[in-house]
Amino acid sequence: MLKATLRSFLAHKGRLALSMLAVVLSVAFVAETLMFTDTIGSTFDRLFRSTSADVSVTAHNDVAGRNDQNFSGTVPTVPASLIPQVAHLPGVAAVNGRVSMAGIVLTDANNKSIGAIGGAPTIGINWSPGPNSPVDLTSGAAPTGDGQVVVDSDTVSKHHLVLGQPLRVIGATGGFPVRLTGIATFNTTNPGATLVFLDTGTAQRKLLGHEGVFTSVDLTAARGVTNEQLRDRVAPVVGSAYDVKTAEQTAKDAAQTLGAFLSVIKDALLGFAGIAVLVGVSLILNTFSMLVAQRTRELGLMRALGASREQVNRSVLVEAALLGLIGSTLGLLLGVGLALGLIKLIARGGMVLKGSQLAVHWPTIVAAYAVGVIVTTVSAYLPARRASRISPMAALREADTPGRGAPLRIRAVVGLVVLAVAAGLLVGAATDKDLGQAGILLGGGVLLSLIGLIIIGPLLATPVIKLVGGWFPRVFGPVGTLSQRNALRNPRRTSATASALMIGLALVASLSVVGSSMAASFDAQIDKTIGADLIVQNSTGLPFPNEVGDTVAATPGVGLVVRGQGTRGALVAADGTQQKTVVVGTSPGLDKMVRIEMRDGTVATGTAPGRALIGSHYADAHGLHLGSPVTILFQSGKSGTLTVGGIDVTDTNPGGLGDEPVIASSTLRQYVPGALDDIVFVNVAPGANKEQVKSALTTALAKDPQVQVRDQTDYKKLVRGQIDLLLNLVYGLLALAIIIAILGVVNTLALSVIERTREIGLLRAIGLARSQLRQMVRLEAVVIALFGAVLGLGLGLGWGLAAQRLLAAKGLQSLAVPWSTIIAVVVGAAVVGLLAALGPALRASRLDVLDAIAHE
Amino acid sequence: MAASGEPAARAVGLCKAYGSGDTAVLALDRVDVEIDAGRFTAIMGPSGSGKSTLMHCLAGLDKPTGGEVYVGDTELSRLGDKALTRLRRDRIGFVFQAFNLLPTLTAEENITLPGDIAGRRTDADWLRQVVETLNLGDRLRHRPHELSGGQQQRVAVARALAARPQLIFADEPTGNLDSRSGAEVLGFLRRSVDELGQTVVMVTHDPNAASFADLVLFLADGRIVDRLEGPTADAVLERMRRFDVRGGSQVAQPAPDAD
Ligand SMILES: Nc1ncnc2c1ncn2[C@@H]1O[C@H](COP(=O)(O)OP(=O)(O)OP(=O)(O)O)[C@@H](O)[C@H]1O
Ligand SMILES: [Mg+2]
Repeated sequence: MLKATLRSFLAHKGRLALSMLAVVLSVAFVAETLMFTDTIGSTFDRLFRSTSADVSVTAHNDVAGRNDQNFSGTVPTVPASLIPQVAHLPGVAAVNGRVSMAGIVLTDANNKSIGAIGGAPTIGINWSPGPNSPVDLTSGAAPTGDGQVVVDSDTVSKHHLVLGQPLRVIGATGGFPVRLTGIATFNTTNPGATLVFLDTGTAQRKLLGHEGVFTSVDLTAARGVTNEQLRDRVAPVVGSAYDVKTAEQTAKDAAQTLGAFLSVIKDALLGFAGIAVLVGVSLILNTFSMLVAQRTRELGLMRALGASREQVNRSVLVEAALLGLIGSTLGLLLGVGLALGLIKLIARGGMVLKGSQLAVHWPTIVAAYAVGVIVTTVSAYLPARRASRISPMAALREADTPGRGAPLRIRAVVGLVVLAVAAGLLVGAATDKDLGQAGILLGGGVLLSLIGLIIIGPLLATPVIKLVGGWFPRVFGPVGTLSQRNALRNPRRTSATASALMIGLALVASLSVVGSSMAASFDAQIDKTIGADLIVQNSTGLPFPNEVGDTVAATPGVGLVVRGQGTRGALVAADGTQQKTVVVGTSPGLDKMVRIEMRDGTVATGTAPGRALIGSHYADAHGLHLGSPVTILFQSGKSGTLTVGGIDVTDTNPGGLGDEPVIASSTLRQYVPGALDDIVFVNVAPGANKEQVKSALTTALAKDPQVQVRDQTDYKKLVRGQIDLLLNLVYGLLALAIIIAILGVVNTLALSVIERTREIGLLRAIGLARSQLRQMVRLEAVVIALFGAVLGLGLGLGWGLAAQRLLAAKGLQSLAVPWSTIIAVVVGAAVVGLLAALGPALRASRLDVLDAIAHE
Repeated sequence: MAASGEPAARAVGLCKAYGSGDTAVLALDRVDVEIDAGRFTAIMGPSGSGKSTLMHCLAGLDKPTGGEVYVGDTELSRLGDKALTRLRRDRIGFVFQAFNLLPTLTAEENITLPGDIAGRRTDADWLRQVVETLNLGDRLRHRPHELSGGQQQRVAVARALAARPQLIFADEPTGNLDSRSGAEVLGFLRRSVDELGQTVVMVTHDPNAASFADLVLFLADGRIVDRLEGPTADAVLERMRRFDVRGGSQVAQPAPDAD
């Protein structure tokens, strides 16, 4: 029996080729995702391990973590006086004061930013290589004094920098000119950060604002002393105001932050892989169904010759498992290729990974084979069961007539019930007040509506195809009629083929609805809340030196200027419980720039010195009124009690000003000295021209390429651009599922052409031209694809609508249906149909007429 | 009715070989034949004698390996696939032994299909006449699987006639039918020749079927070995018996000196 199975597998290898391709693609995507994220993880692990000191001492801070240092531009520091306290301890081989500050800017002499803006960080570090330094000076000299800098070799070669070249560094205190005096090379893979080394004094003054402080004190353990032993000796000396961590702890903390981010990416990618797998399942199921139908006689003969049901069943399943095994192997190989390609691709975008360090862990291999083999055997199970039910009589019977199949009534009932439940869930999601619960309802609704539509698909095939292909006969004559009827011939098959496409298109449609609703809502939000003529901000929202605000205020034509700061902090309740938040600082006049809906007091009274403007949720929860004291713990570690001077309406206020306290900049700086601006609002002076002021500001700020001057239109454009980018990324990831769906259309057509060989022969005999025959196959494909598009768009619009209603409370108030995308999907589906038909149409038209007529 | 003027189709020195070298089969061996316009010609002969092959070559479905085939005065060997397709569509009608109809089309749509493919409207009066004569009036909206074998063959004949082709080829059109349904189909083919001047070529094994024809050509081993004008079933049967004896002797003596 196994021999017969193998032989049958080989005999049908052509017909299985596309299913195999679907398995290969799905497995490749899964494997590539795992290998890619593992590679990122291991590259950073190595980096963290090599850059962590044996033991490091940092200031302990409840509200601002060490990896959060670029928020507000000020960081917790360690005084230099700590060094002599620990230097003499037994087991300390070396002590190094370290200054390390992310979020600085390096520009060339033309004020063009070097290093990625919005990508990998640019980090300013003091040049003080310890015994186990991760970098070596490979050319030039170490920096000494204000005007010198050493840059990492990757950045140097990427931007073609040369020794002696003038550059500019912009730190917390502002920009200053430097010359490139040396090049440092990492002895592990640097995934893309731009490293700027300054001499210690400069780094302290320009990046931290003071001499005599460090961001950490790094200790090297003497021979024979473990990191843990050293930590335990240092900790009691420095006391509880400092965190003392071993290299392992530091690396682990860093890896954890990254790991959380990586696992989000991994889950998202695996989600898309899952969709592709789902589509692959429908393709394989369809293939095996068709093969079983076409082999009815052969299988009947096997039964007649004495094969048991189980044997027939097993033979189909073994065939599927073989397909899965071979497909997984090829998929795994393709996955390696894709991962290497992706690594090359993102290297261009600034993240440098080494292909030679590609992480192929055994769970990846297990997952690849599990996906491939399970997917194929599960998909082949139903057809296999059907095959085993074929009676020996089938060998004697004439081939099937069309229009057969079990009654669809049960299917209709089940499908309608599932759809009704799904609709209920979606409506529930759209109207539920509790966001978390609504999210669960939405998820359930999406899944059930998909399943319901797949169940009921065969029943929808006839009406929908009559609708979308109804004009075919009039336009394309008998060829149109034939193609439409062929598509209707086996509604189950047509609908299974189309539903694969439906899944991808439904996601495209729903996401495009959400995306354009987001853009529209943001537009409305800006119109409603932003009153400022111009806004100056860093493209990534990072703070910038205060000289930017000074420059803005000094520019002619500028009227009112309001400068804002964001710092980490916590609201401390009477019972001592802390609620972490962002504490916003503002100079006077915020109400002229942002419309804030107030419940009590005004923006001006709330942001007067010593006062705080707080949100209504927090006020109500803690029984605060105008005049009540409110305690805020600042990121500097100091805490202060202010007076409530205003209460805004938490629910209706623009993002970022919900329950976050807003206080006067002057008050904020009492507690957080050196807090940097991260936004500057500008109104033009009366009589000044906005466009002229904008270009004057842009010119004045040329030395600070990290900030941009934008008006409201620019903001809308910026957000639209970001949304589009995200959507395009998602569409790109959905492309795999859509490609597999197209393979499904090709597959169905190819197998149908084989099934209909005799008909094709007859048509050719009575005078159908080859071109007409090709047209017939093409139109059938187009009609199947359009069927999938109609279902997908209907479903996707429903999902998008439910999601928009659900998120309306979160600010997604406007519904926008992107008609251009919808039309593009329909046209795209028709094109997909045409492409899918290329092969099968050619094959059909090449059939020899007489052979075809004589075909069994 | 006697032969008149130009033949509807003719073959000169027609050869058809399958395969090559030692395994080559010569299905047609230098056949010269004329199909008279406006007559009903039957082709008979033992299984494997080349009847279907001859018909396929005359109808432009198959490419001869030698000789010439004319439909009217068009020589087929020079025609490409497109021209041959057009020739079949516009000038030839077919009735096969089985699987004549497209399962997705109704009887009526099947009947008008060749005209529809060509983008011609089928003459409504003519269509009604054909349908009435074949007694298909109440079956036009049915799909093939809802029709009996005889009804299916009648639809196929109606399709062949509806486009008023120059020539109709029928390969054992009654092979799958009982004698009554067979006689109906044959009677209609006969009437289409007598009353409409249609030219029909039919391959058959059945002497009764052959008796509907004006002329019977006998084929053996790829050659025309005999012809019988104005056949009756008995005359055909008697000819076949003789011919069987001769055919048998030919099989028994493979030498070329036979005949
Ligand atoms: N495609 C082919 N390849 C090889 N040989 C063929 C092919 N088609 C027909 N033949 C051979 O050509 C010869 C004539 O075949 P043909 O089909 O014309 O016979 P026939 O007279 O129609 O027989 P029947 O009465 O059984 O239909 C036979 O010997 C047959 O085996
Ligand atoms: Mg034959």
